[in-house]
Amino acid sequence: MGHPFDTATGTILLGFALTGVLFQLVRWLAA
Amino acid sequence: MEFQIVDVLLRWVHFLAGIIWVGHNYATVVQRPSYRPLRREDLVEAEGDKFQSMLQREHGTFRWASVVAWSAGILMLALRGWLADALLLRGHMAVVGIGVYIGTVMMLNLWFVLWPHQKKVLGFVPAGIDERLRCSRITHLSSRTNTMLSIPLLFFMGAMQHGGFLFH
Repeated sequence: MGHPFDTATGTILLGFALTGVLFQLVRWLAA
Repeated sequence: MEFQIVDVLLRWVHFLAGIIWVGHNYATVVQRPSYRPLRREDLVEAEGDKFQSMLQREHGTFRWASVVAWSAGILMLALRGWLADALLLRGHMAVVGIGVYIGTVMMLNLWFVLWPHQKKVLGFVPAGIDERLRCSRITHLSSRTNTMLSIPLLFFMGAMQHGGFLFH
């Protein structure tokens, strides 16, 4: 299996996943 | 009134420079969705004077666009008196603060990881063919890192102004 960045799909999916994680973090910080 | 004019102009510059910068990342994702290692022939093809000056202009443009976008963003926050709270991720300012941190990492990645290696790959500074091929893997990963980081960055930029209800 290659690196996730070796495909456009892998790159974009990781971007969405990171957005989800950071969203939870910011919700917790902003609460 | 003056503050509002400056604020809207900075926002305009911020968007415009951001699109020039990150648009370049997305252009490369569309051109080459899957990674293909560079070959020696690819490097030789890029060595003509005209092609070299085109590459210099292209890379200079998006590299400096990153500085303009980042500076305009920081200035907007500073003029509103929000910068310290954003950097300290205080309360609702954490929404834009996380954007500041992501944008800063992206700019540092571009200037201090991608650019030193890209200079070798493109032949702007002398390097052996094996070194150039090695660097091309690093530039790929560095560029894709910024593409990935732009996704949450754009979300938090928009959410700061329009998504307050998400963070209560």
